This record gives sequence, C-alpha cells and structure tokens, in this order.
Amino acid sequence: MPPCRRVGGHVGAARAAAPVAAAVTAARRGGPFPWAMDGFVGRAAPRPAAQAGSALLPALHLPLLPPHLYRPATSHEYKLNFRKSKEACLSYIQDAMLQKQWKRAAEFLTFYIESLEKDFSTEYVGPSEMIWRIGTEILCHHSHSSMKEFNSFIEQMKTLGVKRYLKVCLEHAFHLLCNGRTDEAYQNLSLAESWRFGEQTTAQDKELKLIQAYRGLLDYYSWSKQKNVLLEYERGGFEDLSVEQEMHSSFRKAAVNLKEIIQIPGVWDLFVKCYVDLLEFYGDHDEARQVLSEYAYNSKFPANPNAHVYLYQFLKRHGEPKKSLISVLKILHDIVPSHELMIDFNIMLQKSKKRKKRRLGLEVIFAALDYAGWKENVKAWSCLARQVKQIIISEKHPDWIKQEWNSRKDWWPTFHFSRYLAKRNWQENESLAYEKAVVAGILLGKDCKYFKYVSHQGCKDQKKRFRTLKKFVNKHSSVYLRISGLSDSSV
Amino acid sequence: QAETPFVARRGGAGESWEPAGVAAAPFLPPNAGCWVPSLMPQDILYRGVLRRKLRSGKSGAALDFTKQLGHFFVDHPEDAFGSLGQLLHKNFYLGNAKLRRQARDTTIRMTPLVEEINRLEARHGCPQQHLTSRVRWFSHLCRDWLFEVPLDLLADCVHDELVLQWASLLFDDSSTGGALAWLPPEDAGARTGRLVYPRGPAMNQLYFQDVVLGEVPRARGSPAQFELNGRIRQVAAAQVDGEGFVGVRSDYHCGVWRVRGRTGAAPAPLQVIRTSVPASCLTVSPHLPGELAVCTQSGAVYLWSVETGLQQLRQDPQTMFFRDHSPWRWSDFTAHPRVLSCADRTGLQCLDTRAPGRCHFDFFKVGEEAGCQQGERVVLPLYLGRPHPSQHLVATQFAVYVMDERLPLVPVLKWAHMMQDPPLFAHVVPGGPGRSHKLLLGASHTQELLLLQYTALSLHPSAGGSKSACQLAGPPQKLHSISGCLQHLPQQLPHRHQLLQQRLGAPAAGLTAVLHAQGQRESLLVFQLSEAGDVFYQTLRHEAAQPSTADGEHKDEAAPSASPVVEALPAVALRYRRWLKALFRDQQELPQQAAGRAPPTISQKRLFTRQDLGPPAGPGTGTLHAWARQQLRRAMRERGRVRRWHPAPAPPPPPQPVDPAAWPDALSTRLTAAWAGDWSHWWEERLGLNMAQRQRALRERRRRQKRARGHRSLSASFTSSVTYQSELSELSDGPPGPGPPLSPGHPDALPQVLAEVWGGSPHHPPPSAEPLLSSQTLRSRGIPKERRKTLRDYLAVCADGAPETPPEPPGSQPCSQGGQLCIPSSQSQLSGSQPRRKRPRMGF
Repeated sequence: MPPCRRVGGHVGAARAAAPVAAAVTAARRGGPFPWAMDGFVGRAAPRPAAQAGSALLPALHLPLLPPHLYRPATSHEYKLNFRKSKEACLSYIQDAMLQKQWKRAAEFLTFYIESLEKDFSTEYVGPSEMIWRIGTEILCHHSHSSMKEFNSFIEQMKTLGVKRYLKVCLEHAFHLLCNGRTDEAYQNLSLAESWRFGEQTTAQDKELKLIQAYRGLLDYYSWSKQKNVLLEYERGGFEDLSVEQEMHSSFRKAAVNLKEIIQIPGVWDLFVKCYVDLLEFYGDHDEARQVLSEYAYNSKFPANPNAHVYLYQFLKRHGEPKKSLISVLKILHDIVPSHELMIDFNIMLQKSKKRKKRRLGLEVIFAALDYAGWKENVKAWSCLARQVKQIIISEKHPDWIKQEWNSRKDWWPTFHFSRYLAKRNWQENESLAYEKAVVAGILLGKDCKYFKYVSHQGCKDQKKRFRTLKKFVNKHSSVYLRISGLSDSSV
Repeated sequence: QAETPFVARRGGAGESWEPAGVAAAPFLPPNAGCWVPSLMPQDILYRGVLRRKLRSGKSGAALDFTKQLGHFFVDHPEDAFGSLGQLLHKNFYLGNAKLRRQARDTTIRMTPLVEEINRLEARHGCPQQHLTSRVRWFSHLCRDWLFEVPLDLLADCVHDELVLQWASLLFDDSSTGGALAWLPPEDAGARTGRLVYPRGPAMNQLYFQDVVLGEVPRARGSPAQFELNGRIRQVAAAQVDGEGFVGVRSDYHCGVWRVRGRTGAAPAPLQVIRTSVPASCLTVSPHLPGELAVCTQSGAVYLWSVETGLQQLRQDPQTMFFRDHSPWRWSDFTAHPRVLSCADRTGLQCLDTRAPGRCHFDFFKVGEEAGCQQGERVVLPLYLGRPHPSQHLVATQFAVYVMDERLPLVPVLKWAHMMQDPPLFAHVVPGGPGRSHKLLLGASHTQELLLLQYTALSLHPSAGGSKSACQLAGPPQKLHSISGCLQHLPQQLPHRHQLLQQRLGAPAAGLTAVLHAQGQRESLLVFQLSEAGDVFYQTLRHEAAQPSTADGEHKDEAAPSASPVVEALPAVALRYRRWLKALFRDQQELPQQAAGRAPPTISQKRLFTRQDLGPPAGPGTGTLHAWARQQLRRAMRERGRVRRWHPAPAPPPPPQPVDPAAWPDALSTRLTAAWAGDWSHWWEERLGLNMAQRQRALRERRRRQKRARGHRSLSASFTSSVTYQSELSELSDGPPGPGPPLSPGHPDALPQVLAEVWGGSPHHPPPSAEPLLSSQTLRSRGIPKERRKTLRDYLAVCADGAPETPPEPPGSQPCSQGGQLCIPSSQSQLSGSQPRRKRPRMGF
C-alpha cells in the first residue's frame, strides 16, 4: 500500500492513458503542411450510443463514477478494498506527475506494480498498459534515468503484454530516433517485424504496417545518405561500387515498404514524399505521378490539402503545362480556399488571356481574403487591388466585381474596412493600409471610412501615391455606384 | 542531412511556469447572500448505496423514489391529502385509548397501522418481508381516492424530477463554457482590464469589475452591475475592433453587452433574446462586432446579429453522426466569419451561414479517424482563433484534440488528459511568435485545472514562421484548485471548518487567464469562479531558461509540506484573513436577515376557532357556509382581499306569518305596537303629533348612513377613529340644533343609542323596527327578559328578511365588534367589504 495521506476521501482514480505513447509519432521536419499525424483512416461505422435510452445512466460515459458521488468509506473498508486502493495509488501517481514530481511518481509506481497481481480488468486501458505508459513518461523526465535503464524497462514491458507488443516496439523505436540512435531503432524495428505470436500478429496488423513503413523510412534515410556520398564522389571524380550497391539495396527495401503503406487510406505525407523522391531519382516519373494523384484524388483518403500541394509541386518541377497546374490548384482552392498557394494561383490566373480564368482569379483572391488569417496579408491585398484596378481601368466586366461583392457587402465593411482597422493598419503597416484603401475606395466609394481616413492621413504626410489614389477613386466613382447597385435603380 | 531529423510529437521542452503561491487566493470578497448547498447523491439514492454495476456503466443507480414521495407527503400534507384529510379527520383516531362503542362504527384507529409501518421500516432489508394484511388492506382501500393529486400522476412527476436531478448530479453540462470572462484593455500595454462574472445569491447579477494587473491583481473602483432574471450559466466575451462584446446566457434568455475599450466606460446592454427551450450555448464572434452564435436544446442553431436579428441555420433534434440522447448543442466561429461550427455529442460540422442547407462539411467525428474509444463524446469545442486562425480544440471526457479546419476529421494533435471530470471550461492564452500557447482546461465538480502548452506553427502566410507540426510542449501541469487552499488555512472551529469545506468545495463555474508582462517578468494570472460565486486567482511565474530536470528535483522536496498560507505572502494572507472574516460574518447575519426579510405569514389557526369554521347545524345553510369558507380560503391562499361575495345567494323565503308589514290594517299595527309596548307612541303618531320628531329621526338616519360608510372604509386602522370623529362632525349637517332635550326612557333617545351600539352597521332596518333592537331600550320598555330575545329574532327577520338566524350557541358567542378586533390588520379588508347582511346574526 502506498502511504495514503488522505485516507477516506477522494477515492476517484486517475483514468486511463498516461500521456506518453501513442502520440509520440515521429515526424520529420519540413513539408508544406506538417500535420504529421500519421494515421489510418477507416470508415467510421456509426455506433449506437452506449447507453441510450436509460435515463438513469450518465449522459456521458465516464470511466469511473465522479468522485463527488462516493461516500467517504471508513478506513477499515478502505484497506480491504484492493481495487479502491489501486485507484487511489493511480491518482497519487497522476497527481505527482502533473506536478512534475517524478521521483515521487516513480515511488508510487513501484507500489502500483502490485496491481498486476489481479488484473481481470476489462477497462479500456488495463494496469499493464498503464504501467508501461506511466513508466515511459517518468523515465523520459526523471533526472537520473539513462538510455540503458529505459531500454531495459521497455524490454520488460514487451514481455508483459503480448497484446501490444508491436505498439511498445514502435514507441521504443520512436524514442530511440528522437534521441538520435537511428541504428538501434532500425534494429528494433526489424526485430519487431519478424515477431510472430500466433493470432496476436494478425490482430496487430496496423502496428505491423507502421513498423514496416518506418523501417522503410529509415532505409530511405540511409539511401539518401549514401546518395549524398556518391554525389560527393562523383564530384571528386571517382567511383565506389560497394556504396552504390548498398544504396540500391536500401532503395529496394525502402520502396517496397513505403509503397505498401501508402496504399492504405490515411495521412502519409512523410512516406509519400520519400517514396516520390526515390522514384524521381530513378526517373520513374509516371509512377511518381500516379502515386501522387492517387494520394490526392482517391476518395477513400481523407481530404488532405498537402496531397494536392505535393502534386502541384511535382508537376511544377517537371515543367508541366499551366493548364494542369491550374486544374490542380483549382481543386485545392475548392478544398481549402485559404491556402497560401492561392496567391500564386491568383497571379497565374491574372496573367491568363482567357476571360474565364481571370474571372476565377478574382474569385480566388476574394475567397482567400474572407478568412481571418488573411486579414493583414499585404500580398493578397495588393493582388486584389491590382486586379480590381485593372478591371476598372479597362472598363470591362465590372459585373465580376459586383457579383463577388454582392455576397460580401453586408459584412466586409465591418470585417475589413472599419475605422478602427484603418487607424491600426495605418499605424502598423502603411502599405497594407494603402492596398486596402484602394480596394475600399473602389468597392465602397470615396465616402468609405477606411478610405477617407487612410487617404487623409496619406495626403497629410505628403505621400504621392495616396494623392494619386484619391484622384483615381474620384475619377472612377461611377464604378462604385454601379457595383453597389445604386445606379441600377436610377436607370 | 540533419543529425536529428526526428522530434517527438509531445514531451519536448516547454516553458516553465511555476506557481507563485501555495494555493489559490480569493480575489473578491465572498459572495454574500445565502448559498444553498447543492444536492448530494445520498439525498436521492436508495439508502445511499451506489451499486457496483453503476460504476461499470452498465446499470442505473437505484433512486429512492419512495423516500422522496414520503417526504412530499410529510412536507406538504395539504397538497397531498388536503380535502379528504379534512373530511376524514374525525374518522381517523390517532390516540392510544380504546374507542368508545358508538365511535367505533365510524372511526378507525390509526395507531396500530403506524406501528405496523414502523416495524416494516425497521425490518428493511430482511428477505422474509411480508406486508401485513392491515397495511395492505388500508392501501387497497385508500389508494384510489385518498390523494388530492392522483397518485399515478404525482409519482410520475416525482420520478421524472428524480431522474433529472440524478442526471445533473452525474454530469451537468449547463455551465459548459464557463461564466467568467476577461476583457483586455484596448491598448495592450495598459495594466487594467475588466473581469465579467455573475454574483448574488442566485447568481443572477452580472458584474463588470475593473482589475489592475500585477503579481497580486486588485479590483479597482466599484463594479458595474446588472440584475438579470435568471441564473447566469455562461459568460462569453470577445474583442472586436477595440470593443468588447459580452454574451450572457441563462436558461431562457441570452443577452449581449458592449464594453468600450477605455477603462471606466460603462458597459451598455444591447439586446436580449428569449428562448422557449433552454439555450445550451452562446459564443461571441471574434471577427464581426455584435455577432453571436446561439444553440438551444431543441437542436436549433442561430446566428444572432445585433443589427439584423436571428437567423436560423439548423433545426435538427437528432444528433449528427449517430444517435445520442443528449440535447446539448454547441456552436462556435471559425476562420471564415460566415462559417460556423456546430457540435453535438457525436461530433462537429461546419456550416456556411450564407447557405446553411447546402454548404457544410464534417469537421470532427467521434469514431475511428480520430482514434476515439468507445463511449467517447464531445464535451467542449473551442475555437483557437487567437493562436492560429484555423485551429480548434475539441475536448471529450477522455482526451483533447486539436483540429485544423483545412484537414477535417483527422486530428492534428491528440492527448489523453486523464481528468476525472470532463473538462467544461477551456481558455487559451496565445504565446508570441516562437513561443508555446497555453491552454487551460477546467473541470466543474472536481475543480481540476490543467495547464498544457502546445506549439502550432504560425500559419500566417506572410509571417513565414518555422514549419513544424503541432506539438505538445512539456508535460502538462496541474494548477491549484479552489478547495486546495483549505489545508493551508489556519485551524477553524469545527462548524466553521465544515462551512469552509462546503464553500470551497463548490463546483467550479468558470475560468479565465491573463498574461501579464512587467518588464522582463512575465506572469500568468488564472481566475477561477466557483458555483458559490467566489472568484479566486493564482499567479504563475515564467521562469525562463531553467533546465526542467533541475526544478523537478527541487519540487520533489518542496511539495508535500503544507505550510500555512499566512507565511507565504503578506498580501495574500491579508486577503485570506479578510475573506474568511467576511464569510463568517455573512453566515452569521444570514438567519437574522432571513427572519427580517421573510414575508409576514398569517397563521390560519388563530384566525378562526374551530367553531367558527365548523359547519353550522342548521339545515339549508351548509352549502352557503362551505362556499363562503372556500372563498375565504382562496383569498388567503392568493393573499388577496376578500371581495364581495358574489353572487350573493338569493335569500330564502321568510318563514310564513312573521312580517307585521303584511298586516297593514290599523288593528294589526296597533296590536303590534301594543305587543312591543309602544302603543302610546303609535297612537301619537296616528294622531300626527310627532311630525318634528319624525323629521329628526329621518335626519338621524341619513347621518348614520354616512357614518357607516366612513366606518366601513377605515374600520380597522387606528386612525379610523379620528377620521370617524371628524367625519361625524362634518357630516352632522343641517340645523345643528340639538332638538328637544332627551330624557332617559324617552323614546326620543332611541336613535342616538342605536347609532352607538351599531357602529358600522350598513344595514338599515326600517325605522319602525330600528329602535326596537337594543336590549337597553327593550329593557327600558319593561319588556321581560325572556321575551326580549324572541322579539329581537322576530324583528330581525322582519328587518332584513334574512331567515338564516341560527340558534344561538349556548356558550359565549363573541359579539361582532369583539370578534373583529382579533383579526389582524391584514384581514381588515375582510370585515370591511363583507356583506352586511350577516350582521344581525352575529349581533351580540
């Protein structure tokens, strides 16, 4: 028994899942959208509510009854109840961990090991898993822990539960990787891959796939290292056949494993990038393109904007025609209108000679500026200002602006063009204020608060571009009337 | 190739935030007014036992239904058995003595029955438990008719209420979101912000308090205060264009206030909406001024704009992804000002308000994509717009997820929070570029408070921040709960200790945090609100560049010591002392206040004696009597005044040969007069000798009428006598000539005497009968005592035609005046407006 300081009250225990594990997914830096939460995606089968119908049950399934519902038990009862003391012990461990008292937590954990004695629990996270998770977390933070201790602890944990053998192996490998022990991690992964334990192996199929994928990833890293070495050599003018052979074998091992994982629906940004890199190096562009478009367009995969970005970057690298680039970005625009590539997209479309595309360009930049994250993006505002100006000067298609403006005129003025924002933008970023003032002047007329404030301040500071802006807006004030629909009613 | 291309998703080094004090400290004086302790499970559970199965979530708790029903019968007997209980009053005997023979036919002895029931109670839990035949017999006999409210109906109501109470004990989501909000000052450098919180005995007063930040924050000035008509469940706030918008949700009302950025500006209420179904969510738009999202428990989601009103976006009583019985709904804003997220227990969807029917996508689903476990449900969604424009937090009872709008369904970050109670409150404090964001999670009943740090790349397209995945930084940290300060307080007397324990242990009701930088020193101030209305705070100091391992060891030694808070910080200690003092003072004042404030109650028992209320024996009067009683009772129940008894019952026909006026011939009148001993008077009148006297009598009558009116309106108050006098003198109009001197025994004295005796009689007997009713006069006429009563009765009948003169009870019947005097003042109207018809009966 742990030394219970608060015997009697508060029997509620910590619940499942120590914070380590599961989430310690290794992620490589880089990538346009580092979600890096690798995960399988299956079809979410609608499940019936666990306790629908019975009103006496909690509205929410709680793992343990809220502690305020317990009656304080007498100390005698308390000692007898193994289960309760187990829970109490767990709560002390949790308490210590949350206060970063790792030493104290470790002491409690040694007591908690007793709970393995009668482990008939059917809970989501059983004691053995709890010990593994808590132990890992403590060892990660404890000041006196070393890698050797960590390894021996994990080895024990592996034997403790065959049900999650591969999970433990994977987490162990991650830990080694994070500490820069790539070789050890590789060894561990290959060992885990060859693990066979009857039905348990098939039950842990997902973990096995991940293990193979990460092994493939490590193969890819060694391949890219060898590749760099070879490139150095080539620059030096000599050859090393053994390195080359090694490199090819790494390639083969990596390619097989990576190819396998990216066929399962999920978010595999890291693996896809590596695989495409391999294919590209060996000139298999068709395969690479196939992989990327499958990753982007297969409806079984979750809608992942990164997939489209990779495809776009790939196509751009290989000098594909503008048309296909635009079609890729068009889909990205449909999924994520606030993607940063939308500026490139807009520029690309503005340059286009086709009317339809220029129209799309206007739509894209308007849609991007709807988002709160783009509010102060000078680039986007200048894109919009430029295109709107162009349309006004050429006096072709002012109805485009009108159409875009119609759905926004009830909230853009307060969202973008309030007096408060005029003041702030002017103070913080003059060029942003200028670009926004151009748009405001055209869309809302010269009486718009934003335009008035900024142009007034600009003229006061004797800045030339603000004076020309004022002139421009005054000259084209008729456009504003047409956009806002004021002139329509008079005609 | 970099040496370490791998970084852990969580566990990296976070910033070090160390609590400055050993416990949370009170920020405001205790919330005055009586705080009713919340319901305990023992109150409604069967014998206080929680079944084992309940814990595993497989079976329900046993609610003690019979106990509650029993409580109802004992506490509200009038409502439970009112009428029949009274009717059967005589037939139930509660004494120990044997019944007398004649009573035995109509009365049953209840004592054995009660004993029987008590014995049953004592044998509770005994497996061989038989209902005795007597109890069964009684229950069979009475079940159908004894209860005022049909038993089935009553039982249904009690049962429903019990189930509701139990459900809210297990998990109460009405306070989701929390009722504490912070409004930062307009310019970031200022040190004064505003705290918005509910207070008052019913938590229905909204306070806006200016707060000066510092290591020890303090309130400045007196708060702006609004009284609302409902308990405040949630206070949400957002800052748009330098103005603060505060949304306040109570069960059936939502309101919005605007607070100008300048300190000292009064908050202005803008609009209130009323819902027919309780609202479950209110969030304020961080993008557009005066826009809010409202959800009701009927499954409706509204966009509420102060300018354009309500727009219904969705109305669906069903949950989104699979069936769940919870009516809870939530809605929040997203990176796009026109897109709202809608949540129920099964997940989140995003809706475009411009076309809510068509444009929506699934954002979060409880299921495999997010790696949810069985029974997991969404408890609290939160838009993390300030740290990152497209990220959201989704908290369930097991884990928290960080979601990105651009990659729906797959969480960007997941962490099992291990909290004992589901987190109902969350607050995010954005860290600057290159720093971690602080996320606070709070639970209600257990008062748990966790601090998480996470980093999300600043996806500002122009900012070009470093691109790294969203990750947790450092281990999560537990902050002080309100109840945690109990062990640091000085020893209290047991009853005070208990009070304090109860008060500090009240469930949390809200949480907010402010980052405050003073020069190089940064501190995080965390405010907590409890359901008792107390606001506590704690300060966390940022300790830059300190290796996490070292302080871990340091903590190990320091932690377990429970040093009294008094030694920690003088300012905090002073606060505690003041807070405790105020709390105990409030508690002492409470009973007195309650006594003073309670509305005056009138005991019904004192108003009437049983004899008054008992039905008169006379035939034919029973219905009228019952009806009058009913009227009286109703008036007393409604605390209204007794109005004119309407419709007045038609007077039954008089008994046959009593009206002397029916015999108008000279002989009859003469005989009548002779019988009354007033023959000489009759004769003088007949001869027309006393014209002047009659005129005077007429005038006297008019005067009496007026006086009676005056008396009626002021009958009860003390001042009435004064007014009465003045009125009297004023109204004695006409020739004030005193008339012929009166001699006792002379018939001329009659009207005067009568007026005194009859005071406020509104009824005016015919002049001929009038003088005859005073016993004095009768005596003076020499009518024998035994005949007087007969005469009076006879004449009274003639006078007002009211036949219902009951036989006078043999005992002392209180006279009308005396009877009225014992009615408390509040009942004065009763006598004032009572029909006068009854007077003669009660006359003497």
